[in-house]
Amino acid sequence: MEPVTGPYGASSETGTSLSVHAGFPNPAAERNGAPLSLDKLLVRHPSSTYFFRIRGHSWHRWGVFDGDIAVIDRALTPRERELVVWWQEGGEFALSPFERATRQNTWGTVTAIIHPFGEMSR
Amino acid sequence: MKSVYALIDCNNFFVSCERLFRPELEGRPVVVLSSNDGCAVSRSQEAKELGIPMGAPHFKFRDFFQQHDVAAFSANFELYGDISERITNLLASITPHIEVYSVDESFLDLSELDIDHYQAWGHTIRASVLRHIGIPVSIGIAGSKTLAKAANDRAKKLPDLNGSLDLTEQGDMTDQYLAGLPIQDVWGIGWRLSPKLRAEGVHTALDLKRMSVHRAQQLMGIHGRQMVTELNGEACLPLTREHKPQAMIMRGRQFGEDTNEFYVIESAIASLTARAAAALRGERQLARQATVTLHTNRHKPGYRRVSETVHFYTPTADTGTITSQLTGALAVTYNSRVAYHRADILLHDFVSENSLQTDLLGTVDLDSSQRSHQKMQVVDWLNRRHGKGTITFAAEALSQAWQPRKQLMSPRYTSTWDELPVAHLR
Repeated sequence: MEPVTGPYGASSETGTSLSVHAGFPNPAAERNGAPLSLDKLLVRHPSSTYFFRIRGHSWHRWGVFDGDIAVIDRALTPRERELVVWWQEGGEFALSPFERATRQNTWGTVTAIIHPFGEMSR
Repeated sequence: MKSVYALIDCNNFFVSCERLFRPELEGRPVVVLSSNDGCAVSRSQEAKELGIPMGAPHFKFRDFFQQHDVAAFSANFELYGDISERITNLLASITPHIEVYSVDESFLDLSELDIDHYQAWGHTIRASVLRHIGIPVSIGIAGSKTLAKAANDRAKKLPDLNGSLDLTEQGDMTDQYLAGLPIQDVWGIGWRLSPKLRAEGVHTALDLKRMSVHRAQQLMGIHGRQMVTELNGEACLPLTREHKPQAMIMRGRQFGEDTNEFYVIESAIASLTARAAAALRGERQLARQATVTLHTNRHKPGYRRVSETVHFYTPTADTGTITSQLTGALAVTYNSRVAYHRADILLHDFVSENSLQTDLLGTVDLDSSQRSHQKMQVVDWLNRRHGKGTITFAAEALSQAWQPRKQLMSPRYTSTWDELPVAHLR
């Protein structure tokens, strides 16, 4: 597959867990003739999908910014190097590669991160 | 074919929704209070063990909550509604034969499914709802809805069962479980019928199961006969799949503080009417009557209320029409020396939207009714698309003073972009 450009593409260089986006465009999710739907692209399992707001400035080089929106699917079983949202003792949700979390404290698997630009980000 | 029903019931549903986004509350006593922070409507197990009763008024228990480190929330109905819908959708993917009995309970008809081991199936469903949605549920399975409900109660209260109980087989085991279920907790008995039954020596579900259908019918009519039959594992009550239109729609709220300002009251009426009328349109019904009631504080001496009913010559679901008629009627009898505490709007005497179009008497102004219908469709669409309150009628916006205090309400994690849960990059 051609490398993707833009924020998601950056992840392939660093080898972090954003490889989940390799399967990003799933043409089968769209029926012939129906207009393309971002909902269907980003949300495979509507019942188990939640959105989180990302806080933190330390991931710029991986294309993840403060204020971005993480799409979380609880139906997926996280694998190594995938990103997860997990509950940190001490009282906050953290977003990091699965290696830092445990099965017990994992809340859900990150399937996409949405980053708005320009007008949209204000 | 023998029928099999499952009842899936969320454990302390509102509390569980709050805990989903606040995992640190696991193990801590939590209560959810009715809107306006009134009284406890959902309690965690820990809160129940502290002896906090259902309906405990917040103002009486405030100190107690503080002493025992009880986390109290105002009801966040947008959140609970969203989570409830997720659970319904998940269950409907198992079988289309589902009856959504309440916000936190659904019956499934399992008769057509190929399931070898019901109790294990229950555990699988339980694990799946917990993982996918994050809410713990209990599951009762049996040959009738009443028995499934009883099984669910046992599954919830007996920790050894891990949240799932199969009572499809009649026998000593099933009878033992029924013997542990007090009569007032049997579905359809409640506090009204239980004294009557206790007087007959019926103290548990098992006693009722063993009562003759003849005697049950003498005591409780056809309802009693059905209950005994159902407790014996024979289904009388099918799934209610068709949605029954409501006979009336009521919306009410307390004012933020007692008020005698007519514009505050008018604004509240407009806002409540907007919500009631939107619900009415959702039901595809039109109202012939609407009633507004203002109450002073019931807990203060000299309680009084005023009530006005208006009749619509042309049945309507138009927010503007209903609001202006109600406020107009109220303005006549309104007493500005009384400070009111609460307003209720009741829409009743419905006709179906469709029946209006075949009105042969010509008493209905079809043209204007059609225009109003189209206008309200747009209003509803905009409010659905851009969030409640995008389009409001002028009077609604007059005053926000009547909005109840929602100091203890959690963010609308799943329905408002500005209130999403936060994840920190680590």
